[in-house]
Amino acid sequence: MDITIDDDQRLLRDTALAFAQKALTPARIRELETTEHGFDAKVWRQMAEMGWVGAVFPEQYGGSGAGLLELALIVEALGQAAVPSPIYSTVVEAGLLLLDAGSPAQRENYLPRIAAGDAIMTTAITEPGGGLAPGEIRTSIKPAGNGFTVNGTKLFVRDAGAAEGIICLGRSGDGENDLTLVIVPRDAPGLKLRRLQAAGGEALWEAIFDNMTVDADAIVGEPGGAWPHVARLQLRGAALKSAELVGIGQASLDLTLSYSKTRIQFERPIGSFQGVQHHCAEMYRDLEVSRLLAWQAAASLGEGLAGDRETAIAKAKTSEAMPAVTRTAHQVHGAIAYYRDYPLELYYHRAIAAQAAYGDAGHHRRALARLLREDLGRFRGDSPHDLPVHYV
Amino acid sequence: MELKLTVDEAAFRTEVRHFLKRELTPEVWQAHRDLNEQGMWTPDFTKAFRRKLGAAGYIGMGWPKEYGGGGRSRVYQAIFWDEMEYHRAPGLDRSITYVPNAIMALGSEAQKADLLPKMSLGELSWFVGYSEPDAGSDLASLKTRAVEDGDHFVITGQKSFSSDAHMADYGWIATRTDPTSSKHRGLSMFIVDMTLPGVTVTKYPTLAGWTHHAVHFDQVRVPRSMMVGELHQGWKVVMGAIDFERAALSGAGLVGYQFDRLLAWCMQDREGAGRKLDDPLVQDELVRLAIEAEGARLMSYWLASLHAKGFKPQHETSLALLVKRETARRLDVAGLELLGPFAPLRTGSPWAALEGEVEVEYRDHLYFQFAAGGFDITRNVVATRGLGLPR
Repeated sequence: MDITIDDDQRLLRDTALAFAQKALTPARIRELETTEHGFDAKVWRQMAEMGWVGAVFPEQYGGSGAGLLELALIVEALGQAAVPSPIYSTVVEAGLLLLDAGSPAQRENYLPRIAAGDAIMTTAITEPGGGLAPGEIRTSIKPAGNGFTVNGTKLFVRDAGAAEGIICLGRSGDGENDLTLVIVPRDAPGLKLRRLQAAGGEALWEAIFDNMTVDADAIVGEPGGAWPHVARLQLRGAALKSAELVGIGQASLDLTLSYSKTRIQFERPIGSFQGVQHHCAEMYRDLEVSRLLAWQAAASLGEGLAGDRETAIAKAKTSEAMPAVTRTAHQVHGAIAYYRDYPLELYYHRAIAAQAAYGDAGHHRRALARLLREDLGRFRGDSPHDLPVHYV
Repeated sequence: MELKLTVDEAAFRTEVRHFLKRELTPEVWQAHRDLNEQGMWTPDFTKAFRRKLGAAGYIGMGWPKEYGGGGRSRVYQAIFWDEMEYHRAPGLDRSITYVPNAIMALGSEAQKADLLPKMSLGELSWFVGYSEPDAGSDLASLKTRAVEDGDHFVITGQKSFSSDAHMADYGWIATRTDPTSSKHRGLSMFIVDMTLPGVTVTKYPTLAGWTHHAVHFDQVRVPRSMMVGELHQGWKVVMGAIDFERAALSGAGLVGYQFDRLLAWCMQDREGAGRKLDDPLVQDELVRLAIEAEGARLMSYWLASLHAKGFKPQHETSLALLVKRETARRLDVAGLELLGPFAPLRTGSPWAALEGEVEVEYRDHLYFQFAAGGFDITRNVVATRGLGLPR
């Protein structure tokens, strides 16, 4: 057993963080929040050149075959520097979905261009119901002529405005899990996009598919066989958002520490007061626990284990604890951080968005409660102990 | 990152588990359990059990080979600590964690040669004499005096809140040797044979049921050879092995056991009331507890991994202990709530739930909040030593 990252992974994290912290000024980050695409294309290209965009793809597609833990370290660094990027839409969602379920032709077409930073792709899954269960999917994908017709409304589609294509989940039959994925070109007739105004750094969109037609070869994976791929996508997203939340928490703590060491009141740095020290110790405590849980989730998914328990634990914890860290950071800062020109607000907003993404804390606790009821062995993880049934 | 135990580590865990199950049978439990003692076992059984740990090679397994140790990695030690706690075995205390490691790091060659072989066999019991009536959180203000007199030092003073002093062969005693110097500077550390004339132990009952002790030293003559480290350098000794002790205390076995016990309770089909587990609120509470327990488990093995890789975690050990003990307290509180009207029923009472252990531990674990630093002092330590905030 080894619950640490190795030297290469540490180097990757340090390099990614050093890059991310220099990539954009806070003013530029705020400016990007008002732009249509929400990210800086030049920075995305640089990230591709550093090999981070393609890291998780096999070498044959221009990647380096890294694991999800490596990707988690990258998004942790991006979160810590508040750098907006289409890494979730393009890599975590569409790219790895295509690797998971795409045809050889689809992989050849998209993955090398994704890894090179040339193609932005995304997925459209969640609907106005707002949940992540397969039964909530109302969008229909029906055979028509040589292909399919797509009808429905999708929400929270990341980077739709910048994407070359959107992989859309729809219902193709009567069974609850009778769901299919199709790739839709963003500029196809019948697709209407509307930008949502949301807290945080991600560009989220509404996508309305109005009698839109796609060819037969637009299908990703087997007709009716989409759900297991989408469920894995959601787990990946949740594990990586947990890592991003850790980055958000780390940045909030760092700002708080440097402020408490330099802000003088009552002729002392406020960090010398135990009230402030205990706030900081609590933030740090929850941050370190969250970091280990997030790493464990990414590592277990990356190793091809089920990882659902570990991911639910990580996202449930980080979704509560890291927004709390940003609130405590504001508590210590007082009025100064209430103003937009102080960088803490970036993290306060990003925590709102990240706790909601790929299932909030309640969603993941509900998933754990289901395991508790239905599969006690897996709920208890790798516990080597029999339950102390002599009490029962 | 390797989330699973290696084949060897898993085999070791199985071996320890079998050892503990074999040694701590229900009959043994019945005969030697004593809620009036700290650790909840009789002193005689604790000592006998510690010798068994020594004979099985568990005490010294992580010590360097030069001191008769097994040279095994800290991951194995963490597994051992984890299993010991899960099975609530006696003897996992300063006598096999803090003191031997402090002696290895800072003791004289003669002290090492004399004491370590016996300690690796579990033959010695220790109490640690740091706290005094007027020196608790502010340990460096301690007043017990050691006055040089030829090749002896004469110790006079009082130690308080002294766990297990009544069963100790030796005391590990912090004294002031230079009364003119301030605080940390004038301290020296001594190993004191508890049979020496002038040592008396007084009992104080705790609200947890067991007795704690005060130890009085009335002109106790201790040979100079029993001083640990250099004269006036005692503070270094105090701090020297503290991280090791905290790492040993931060094992996740207790938390795992507390959780499993509550889970078992919630799975009981109680006549007329059904299973607690079928209540969605109870499910949510158990899930929240499981999340915290998983965090504590990971912290404990993270520390072990850092040690195994040659890092020297310091404030991180305080942090891991804080996480573990806060989680244990949360489980104590959740236990009260989940047991409902059965919560106050004490061990031995008709209808006591979970053998009354939740109520016992809710009282007993109060000491987590103030001992070995305690929650607030630990937050101070983490904030200043870990996060670099000014004092």
